[in-house]
Amino acid sequence: MSAAAGHGGNDSLYLPDFCTSRAALGIVLIVELTAVLLTLARENPLIGFWADLWRTSLFLLWIGLTGAALLCWVGRHLRRLRVARGSAVVLALIAAVVAAISGCAWLLGRSNLVEDAGASVLFPPGLATFLLRNVSIGLVVTALALRYFYVTHQWRLNIEMQAAARVHALQARIRPHFLFNSMNTIASLTRSNPVLAEQAVQDLADLFRANLSEKRNVITLEQECEVARIYQRIEALRLGTRLHIEWKIDPLPRDALVPGLLLQPLLENAIYHGIEPQPQGGTVTVTGEMASDLITIVVRNPVTDREAERDGNRLALANIRERLALMYGERGLVKAGRFGTEYIVTLRFPYIDSAQKLSA
Amino acid sequence: MKAKVLIVDDEAPARERLRSLLAEIDGAQVVGEAATGEEALRQTEDLGPDVVLLDVRMPGMDGLEAARHLNLLEHPPAVIFTTAYDEYALNAFDAQAVGYLLKPIRKEKLAAAILSAGRLTRPQLQKISGDTRRRSHIAVKHREGLRLIPVEDVQYFLAEQKYTTVRHLKGEDLIEDSLRALEDEFGSDLVRIHRNALVSVRYLERIERGAEGQYFVCLRGCEAPLAVSRRMASELRERFRI
Repeated sequence: MSAAAGHGGNDSLYLPDFCTSRAALGIVLIVELTAVLLTLARENPLIGFWADLWRTSLFLLWIGLTGAALLCWVGRHLRRLRVARGSAVVLALIAAVVAAISGCAWLLGRSNLVEDAGASVLFPPGLATFLLRNVSIGLVVTALALRYFYVTHQWRLNIEMQAAARVHALQARIRPHFLFNSMNTIASLTRSNPVLAEQAVQDLADLFRANLSEKRNVITLEQECEVARIYQRIEALRLGTRLHIEWKIDPLPRDALVPGLLLQPLLENAIYHGIEPQPQGGTVTVTGEMASDLITIVVRNPVTDREAERDGNRLALANIRERLALMYGERGLVKAGRFGTEYIVTLRFPYIDSAQKLSA
Repeated sequence: MKAKVLIVDDEAPARERLRSLLAEIDGAQVVGEAATGEEALRQTEDLGPDVVLLDVRMPGMDGLEAARHLNLLEHPPAVIFTTAYDEYALNAFDAQAVGYLLKPIRKEKLAAAILSAGRLTRPQLQKISGDTRRRSHIAVKHREGLRLIPVEDVQYFLAEQKYTTVRHLKGEDLIEDSLRALEDEFGSDLVRIHRNALVSVRYLERIERGAEGQYFVCLRGCEAPLAVSRRMASELRERFRI
């Protein structure tokens, strides 16, 4: 499911399953509409509207249903192709079907059977122009239908992605582990250092406000960094000298608009998987760069062999990936992986400031 | 008589809180603090606490593993686990009726837990440490107490009649674990080269053929080669290109 959502633009999954009766019905509808259109446009004086519609429908239904059967048959292979190639193959197949059936119709018109019945007026005279015209019309109609399928599919993907993002946002909220450990730290500080305890409670409140807020879908980078720093402050109380975070984000424009909770979950992952499992602790590095209106943020943390086997941080990453995709489309990018003794997450997205957002 | 308590937690504020709570409990007396599983074992041997308050999630050797090693001691202490949030561990604790406390810990619950704390049994330990959890150390019983061998230092295990010999960077020791159990626990890090021998993949060096056609494997840092069964010899060659 996630693979489909992730690479939705890259394969021909947009094509419906032509083996279903629903698809067949859709094709009959397209065929009939085309028949009406052609008959109206042609105004054939020799045979009249209804007879013309009848023979055009019959002819086009042959093409439509043969085409559907063919697509049903090759459908499985078709879906593995990329969008452009898949569409080209469909167009070529339909053109071939149109040519073949037009050829048959023309041959039938030449046969004795039709001439004896005096029905040759229903059939086309010249083969070449007949073929050429039919194939052209077939290609145009198929291209329109493909475009329709593609747009519907993209629209559905987008809906699914939004729904998934909402679900993941609920699941990816701050770890209970963090909440209860922070509560424990505060309980301890209440006795030993009430001033620090007070600050920790305020920080925790701010963090949860940012986390629970539905309105703050889009915030500035400045605000997001502030949330991340508040989070860092709480964790530092608990982990003491084991936790170091290096911020190298000076080149970043602080007014850039980002989806809320972009950095904090990454820090949380880095600390949970990278710092907490190390007896001596370690350093999380956050680096920010900007080049030609593209913002890149890299979060790196050390990993131990034992921790690398665990597999818990996919949810937060999946959620950030979805929200970047929703906000920036294909221009938002999330990469994550282990490189030697480090785990590195890279975010890249275009710089949009509040002024631009207003004009858009 | 007051119960002697050892506090084990990697987070300083958590230790501090337990210490101040225990100071208010009549029947308890804090004898020491430890920040890691390894330190907890050392302190237990030195101080002989009656009860160990053991944090489940700690870096390096975690609480569950420390509990397993503690039970090898001549006089194992009673263990109470503490955790902020760990669904899997809690389910196992409940199922095995193992004592635990949830952070932030309440004073009354702490007092009650210390009064009723008991030693863990071997089946309880097995159940709560789960099938997939691997230790970071192998513990060896000695006259002076426990010695911990980091798993990375282990070169091979050799099954003898009743015991298993573990050969590591600093020598050889006898342990009670069976080859079968070790193979299950450390899976891909070990490879069975013979009915009675499991070697660590990271120390594999090369395969040799003896004068009578039998195979031997040489391990990094080991002078004496180990016999390899014929079937395993070809598999080793293919898998590790040695």
